[in-house]
Amino acid sequence: MDNKISASFFLQLGILTKRLILRVIRRPLAELPNIFISAFFLFVYDGALGGVFGGSAAGTPFDFAKGNFVNFILPVSIVSASVSGGASGVYLVEDIESGVFKRYQGMPISKWAIILAPILVGGLRVLIQAGLILTIGVIIGANPAAGTLGYFAVLGIAFLWGMGFAGYSVAAGVRSGSSQGAQAASFLFFPALFLAPTFTPRYALKGWLQTAASYNPTTYVIEAMRAIMIDGWVTDLITKGVLFSGGFALLTLTFAVVSAKKATEKA
Amino acid sequence: MFAVEAKNLKKTFKTKQGDVEAVKDVSFQVNQGEIFGILGPNGAGKSTTILMLTTLLRITSGSGKIQGLDVATQDKDVRKKIGVALQDTGIDNLLTGRELFYTTARLWGFSKEDADKRSEELLNLVGIPDAADRRVKTYSGGMKRRLDLGLSLVHKPEVLFLDEPTTGLDPGSRRVLWDEIKRLRNAGVTILLTTQYLEEADELADRISIIDEGLVVAEGSPDELKEMVGGDVITFTLDSEENVIKAQSLIEGSEIENNDLRVTVNNGAKMIPPLLTTLTENNLEVVSASANKPTLDDVFLQVTGYRLEGAEEPDENMLEEVSG
Repeated sequence: MDNKISASFFLQLGILTKRLILRVIRRPLAELPNIFISAFFLFVYDGALGGVFGGSAAGTPFDFAKGNFVNFILPVSIVSASVSGGASGVYLVEDIESGVFKRYQGMPISKWAIILAPILVGGLRVLIQAGLILTIGVIIGANPAAGTLGYFAVLGIAFLWGMGFAGYSVAAGVRSGSSQGAQAASFLFFPALFLAPTFTPRYALKGWLQTAASYNPTTYVIEAMRAIMIDGWVTDLITKGVLFSGGFALLTLTFAVVSAKKATEKA
Repeated sequence: MFAVEAKNLKKTFKTKQGDVEAVKDVSFQVNQGEIFGILGPNGAGKSTTILMLTTLLRITSGSGKIQGLDVATQDKDVRKKIGVALQDTGIDNLLTGRELFYTTARLWGFSKEDADKRSEELLNLVGIPDAADRRVKTYSGGMKRRLDLGLSLVHKPEVLFLDEPTTGLDPGSRRVLWDEIKRLRNAGVTILLTTQYLEEADELADRISIIDEGLVVAEGSPDELKEMVGGDVITFTLDSEENVIKAQSLIEGSEIENNDLRVTVNNGAKMIPPLLTTLTENNLEVVSASANKPTLDDVFLQVTGYRLEGAEEPDENMLEEVSG
């Protein structure tokens, strides 16, 4: 039995990710609130607004859902579910608080693997939660104009968006060293979700909100998903959504890595 | 070559209240295959010294070597040589003991098959094979410490650092852990442990360094240190606190401790009768008199001016938190 004294970076990342997945699986109740809230939004918004902006809006200026309000509102719930990636920082903070992080620091493990593992798990959670919401949406009538591939496109954008929240959460977690700091990602949720064309298209928003929404990357994420659901492969909207969600993820991952570098330096 | 060498180690933390010297000047050498104890109260600088030697804390000045490797410049190589069980290193409570050993072994580069084998070996070594597949949150404090010790042994380190390994354990669990530590020493592992328990240092350590306020104040084997105090310690118990104070004024060099009068003499058996006569002639009623060899606590008293047992010192972990 001759060990190599340290595993390769990708093996380390895989092992640490698997460990965190085990932690998530063993606390299933912690996953329920976000799924519940996202599903709740879907049902309540559809129930409250679907009657007005659904099929009965045909032929009126309010027919922006083109007869299927679930298609229109589903992206809002998926974006809401993708915020679950914001819990990633909590995994890291739990490890810092429990001393597991210090144990890893004393081993020949790449600190990037330690930082990336929770972000990756955050991304996987987003995929699963967004997938569940998408499934519920399909059950209650969603039907993407872009066809079956549209489901994967929506999930892909949700994944990138969620990774962005995961990166922000990890950065906030390592900077503050506290669970509260890591959960700060959730405070971004409300302005991000509601200073956007959440319930109507952007053109129908009042002037100030329209301006605010134009600066909010969530707007482009929601619009890209809506394009897939309602109109099909509308290249410019989808490209913008991918660029904004990918850019957000890149930005926050860089922020996480810089923060982690500072945090893992010796005192 | 020494297994561990600390040379004029110094650590200064910057805090909002100003600089704090947690370790002022600590030097010692640990021979291959011995148990070396660092004894001192909370806040003495023990944990900070260990953190510097295990590459987890930057050294302000001085140097540390592990098996000839410099901890500051060869930290990656040093980590491969050492096993570390710190007071505040954590264990993932949601995983099972077996999963933790397996995960740790894989991170050290063991193949899946070898990681399985090593997990089984270590589960048996630390005596938790029956609890192997239970989540760690169901383990007792003693089991967690043994698991922690086992996790620090996964990669078969040459030097093991144990920071207060039995703090908070009941006497039975402490004894079990002591036996395991001795077994590791007998298997050739060099062990550096910190403790604030005199009995633990006496029982385990081949040599001891006493640290107080960031400085080494004495070093040697337990017997050498006790010989340094010299002679025997005579303890008189008197019938009242008032008489103890009177008795102290009659016997030169005596000290009051826990309402007893203690004096260190060259030959306890010879000196008890004349001292007893002095006290009774002054109408002081002696309830009991005994002569004992000095303990490490007596050594500690002599070199620091206070007793370790019951010493209240600032918690150095708090200090580290402040320094962030």
